[in-house]
Amino acid sequence: MLLKDSVLLDERVTLPIATKRVVSQHQQRKAFGLALLYFSPALLFLIAFTYIPFLRSIWLSFFITNPQGDTVRFNAINYYTRILNLDGSGRTEYLRSMLTTVYFSLLVVPLGIVFALALALLATLNIKAIMFFRTIFTSSIAISVASASVIWALIYSPTTRATQWIIDLLHLNTHSLLQHSSTALFAVAFMTTWTSLGFNFIVTLAGIQAIPKDIYESARIDGASNWQSFRFITLPLLTPTLLFLMLISTIQSFQAFTQFNVLIGNEGPDSATDVFVFAIFTAFWKDNRYGFASAMSVVLFLILLALTSIQYRLLDQRVHYQ
Amino acid sequence: MSLNLGSLIRTSLLYAALSIVALLVLLPLLFALSLSVQGPTLSPTLLPDFSKLDWSSFQDVFREEPNLTRWIVNSFVVSLAVTLGQLITSALAAYALANIDFPGKPFFFFVFLGSLMIPWESTIIPNYLTITRLGWKDSYQGLIIPFMASGFGVFLLRQHFKAIPRDLYEAAVLDGCSSTRYLWSILVPLSRPALATLAVYTFLNTWNQYYWPLLIIDSPEWRTTQIGITAFRSSEVTIYNLQMASTIIVMLPTLILLVLGQRQLVSGLTAGALKG
Repeated sequence: MLLKDSVLLDERVTLPIATKRVVSQHQQRKAFGLALLYFSPALLFLIAFTYIPFLRSIWLSFFITNPQGDTVRFNAINYYTRILNLDGSGRTEYLRSMLTTVYFSLLVVPLGIVFALALALLATLNIKAIMFFRTIFTSSIAISVASASVIWALIYSPTTRATQWIIDLLHLNTHSLLQHSSTALFAVAFMTTWTSLGFNFIVTLAGIQAIPKDIYESARIDGASNWQSFRFITLPLLTPTLLFLMLISTIQSFQAFTQFNVLIGNEGPDSATDVFVFAIFTAFWKDNRYGFASAMSVVLFLILLALTSIQYRLLDQRVHYQ
Repeated sequence: MSLNLGSLIRTSLLYAALSIVALLVLLPLLFALSLSVQGPTLSPTLLPDFSKLDWSSFQDVFREEPNLTRWIVNSFVVSLAVTLGQLITSALAAYALANIDFPGKPFFFFVFLGSLMIPWESTIIPNYLTITRLGWKDSYQGLIIPFMASGFGVFLLRQHFKAIPRDLYEAAVLDGCSSTRYLWSILVPLSRPALATLAVYTFLNTWNQYYWPLLIIDSPEWRTTQIGITAFRSSEVTIYNLQMASTIIVMLPTLILLVLGQRQLVSGLTAGALKG
């Protein structure tokens, strides 16, 4: 009813100024009501399943909880000091699992970028069937981490002997790369590189294609070799794209969970693959310590927030740069 | 003549190099295919015996794991429902943010954008407790409802709606077009590429979801494909051909999606990467 009235009011354009202000306030209320109608479905779902749970995670992180997830006793910041080893107990397993996560991303990120760059350079070759090859190089974006893990579990399995030659080469005393503490994390990282290859490739290719062709043209006229073109044109102009890719892959590798759960399934050989997200899963799912796991997830949020803010700053720079 | 020969050699070398690299990239998939056609052997080899390829695993796996069909149905129901839900809620919210001037707009925009900063891992424990308390474990609503909105979808569609000239809106309103009708019969048809991007991206992500269904699904018939194949793997550890056959079967829908909607998928993924 109210809405209908205001529509009528709108049409009276020539109103005295005093009334006009009232109308515009009325109009504003109307616009707000209308907008609310449109954005409330999305907003309600986001509040219910993102914002409230997030705040509840923070709340839970200050309490000891029972197995049903109810708060039992206020615990102040004890969980945080425990995770970061500020309580002086000398138990550093959570700091170590953060370090394992960092190792993991130090393996995944450079490998991913080198492979992506190589594929993207190949995919800029000027031949007829290049679209066919591009589709193949992109293919891994359609393959889920779970499917890839099931396949790679067999690649690393002693029965297929597909990776036996690496074990022989390194003289390892093990049946599978996944069962040896010095190779397990690398094995998971290599598999992760394969699953993200398609995405990294497509981002890098887009970056190369955005470089103006006439720069290469004039470089060739000046007698630059292919290598010089790559070294002094492609690489510097691609740096923003590669930096962007680096941060994205770092964030993704900090969140990697599926491959650890399928390929390893527990702490792994000598905790060598116990990454932080998996430690959260263990506290949450296997030990039902909801308060403690929440504290860990808040720590993860802070780490990712730091990485994301670097990413946004970088994106800003990239926009100014071009 | 010699120039022609030179360029011919050069081209064939390029093709050879590209083919070798393509083969390396596809190696894990070819490995899976190779194992799936070797029959129920306990000692599979890397290359199958091409004289007697055994494709029966792709039928047998449905008999061996009667729930496989159900898992595929589950994944389709959940992925389609989430995709449709996100398209609707995102389009409505994006419309309000792009076309209506209302007080407090920057604040609400910030609320939608801010949700991208909260990683999934920091909400999963309370969400799990809520869904358990609602009795939604082992149900479609438990798999669907938490994903009915996404800040990314709202943001993506808002950008596209804003790119459509405002004159169009004013002209439509002058002609007596209501705002709902404007959204439905003008904005949505004009934004089909953006909607397709969001749809393909959301479908792919939901189909490939692992962590959430792992938590809230207990009974075998409610599993989605991703949970199904990993569970099947641990129960049938030594039946390699069926393991690989089931994995290839559940990969097919997304591989087909890649071939049909590569452009949308790529633009969705690159835009989606902007979220943390």
